[in-house]
Amino acid sequence: MIEAIPHTVSTQGWWIVSRSSALVAFVLVTVSVFLGLTMASKPVRKPGFAKTMRTLHEQTALAALVAIAVHILAVLADPWLKPGVAGVAVPFVLSLDRFWNGIGVIAAYMAFLLGRSFYLRGRIGPRLWRQAHRATIGVYVLGLFHALGAGSDTESVLFLGWVAITAVPIAILFVYRMGTARRAEARRRTPAVGGASAKLRAKFE
Amino acid sequence: MANPKPRAIVLGSLALFVALFVLLTVQLSASASSPGASHRKSKAANVRAQPGAGPEPEAGTTDSVESEYVEPEYVEPEYVEPEYEEAPPVVTTSS
Repeated sequence: MIEAIPHTVSTQGWWIVSRSSALVAFVLVTVSVFLGLTMASKPVRKPGFAKTMRTLHEQTALAALVAIAVHILAVLADPWLKPGVAGVAVPFVLSLDRFWNGIGVIAAYMAFLLGRSFYLRGRIGPRLWRQAHRATIGVYVLGLFHALGAGSDTESVLFLGWVAITAVPIAILFVYRMGTARRAEARRRTPAVGGASAKLRAKFE
Repeated sequence: MANPKPRAIVLGSLALFVALFVLLTVQLSASASSPGASHRKSKAANVRAQPGAGPEPEAGTTDSVESEYVEPEYVEPEYVEPEYEEAPPVVTTSS
């Protein structure tokens, strides 16, 4: 078996790199999305907690972007697949698992654009940025379906275990987060009783 | 609360990548070296293991390469001298 390792690396090295980097990217995206949703739900109001969570969320997201870039480059270099630049850059062009790889390309674009938007929030405005940032869950969902549909490790117990353990808490946190965001939006639109009475008082005084 | 350092995330990701790379390489090498374990190979590994198999080519993008005729190599069979044992002369007596 050991004597077969150099041959495996020389013939299937890029495939192994693409699989490893994809798994690392998926783990990092999962952790980043989980941290983002937890942070937004504000479960702990300890001083410094939000800052730590934000730092971890940002760092895992950046590391995920690097892992996605490595995955794309390794797929591009795979001598068996030979996808060509269009195959990895244009959705639904690659003939192998066309649909599942197509949504993978869309997920990668979303990840890079939404990741970049964090550093442009001063320009685009916090409200628009917040709305766009909610679409990050799409990166996780599309990435999950891309992995399940086109991935080579869908039979792996470790991968399926990771998905089973993380998908449910993320779904619960997302639903909870959407609920709190909707309530906050409604509160913003309806003038507060205290605020209204203060305005009236100011008018009559 | 201590602020996490980016180095920890980078090192953790790298360690996970290396571990997965080693694990997948060993797994593929093991399945390649033991033909009896081929039924345990993943679908993708089986597809890749087929000689000359590749993903379906795009319509209209296939380059028709004329196959070159290769003369089969003729190996002259080696002449092997048949072994024989010298038989002792048979003495016949006539009355």
